[in-house]
Amino acid sequence: MAADPKMRFLVVDDFSTMRRIVRNLLKELGFTNVDEAEDGAIALQKLQAGGFEFVVTDWNMPNMDGLTLLQTIRSTPNLKHLPVLMITAEAKKENIIAAAQAGASGYIVKPFTAGTLSEKLTKIFEKMGKA
Amino acid sequence: MSATSDSPDLEALFDSIAATAAVPVATPMPERPVRLAPGGGGAASGDNDELQELFDSFSVAGGAEAKPGEAAPAELMAATDGDVWPKQEVVFNQIGQMARTLHDAICGLGYDKLIEKTVSAIPDAKDRLAYVANLTEQAACRVLNATDIAVPVVDDMAATTGALADRWELLFQNRLSVAQFKSLAEDTHKFLRNDAQQKTALLHSQLTEIMMAQDFQDLTGQVIKKVGGLAQELEGALMKLLLQVVPETKKTEEVESLMNGPVINAEGRNDVVVNQEQVDDLLESLGF
Repeated sequence: MAADPKMRFLVVDDFSTMRRIVRNLLKELGFTNVDEAEDGAIALQKLQAGGFEFVVTDWNMPNMDGLTLLQTIRSTPNLKHLPVLMITAEAKKENIIAAAQAGASGYIVKPFTAGTLSEKLTKIFEKMGKA
Repeated sequence: MSATSDSPDLEALFDSIAATAAVPVATPMPERPVRLAPGGGGAASGDNDELQELFDSFSVAGGAEAKPGEAAPAELMAATDGDVWPKQEVVFNQIGQMARTLHDAICGLGYDKLIEKTVSAIPDAKDRLAYVANLTEQAACRVLNATDIAVPVVDDMAATTGALADRWELLFQNRLSVAQFKSLAEDTHKFLRNDAQQKTALLHSQLTEIMMAQDFQDLTGQVIKKVGGLAQELEGALMKLLLQVVPETKKTEEVESLMNGPVINAEGRNDVVVNQEQVDDLLESLGF
């Protein structure tokens, strides 16, 4: 993958198992600089502290859900450029449309494969390269 | 009041609700039937405090216009009788009738026993589901721990065998000295005899660990079947009951939400996607 392997990721999911799986998959793809948050509110705190270049988030979480996190990121001047990839079990079409309208960089529906994650990341990096 | 004949039933129902809700009872129990007794307007002095509270709460909600809340006790009873607050009386009557219908439906059809039985099983079901969540989480952790151990071992073996293969390649190209060949043979022998043996044994044990971590499925499967059976019973009982008491127009309403979790059964639904391809197609059709 063409992207900088030092790129800093934030993985947001309320289940530690899923955070571990995503972290492992990112490691397989060469990205070892990964931090975790267990809901949108904690994620936002970490993002505000700075240093992150990519957000991978679940949708359905306590305190602050993934869509609200995405909307908040897009409306915050110093965060709005961040790519946000949603990995979620929410599979209603209106969910996907809502995420797209809110400015999601990608949408992966669970259960997903390592190949899908790799493909979506590549696509997002390509878009970022053009921008 | 039209509900006069319902007094004993309703009274019992309301008392049971009041008891379970742990509402402090301001007036002694024996005084309650007096309030609802036929023509009991004048005998209601014991309930003044409660009525006053009720009307005060209305006057707070209604703002300055709700002066009747400060009226004398006798006028209060007149008000509930419908002279001053006709709309409220209609609502109270409707609530009374609904409660009556619900009460009759539950008792008349024997659902009270069924619901009591299923509701009492809910705490047990909660424990069972917590057990499932616990076991599956443990299993996920065991598997992830095993892969955390196994992956570096595999990577290490891949690196070692790769390096050996490169050196053997040089040998076949006649680019190794005798001393280098001797060293290669020794290294290869050492790898095959020690590293490979140890590491494959370690990998084998981790694969066994992953296999054994699946033992939850037998246990959770049984528990989930039991909880599923309970849910079915409860659903059946509540559904029959609801169909009797819910107005026709409410029966087709669906709960709309963006947080539904995984789609359990997508058959016959066109509002959901079933795989990543459909997600991608949808996004593409939207221009993303």
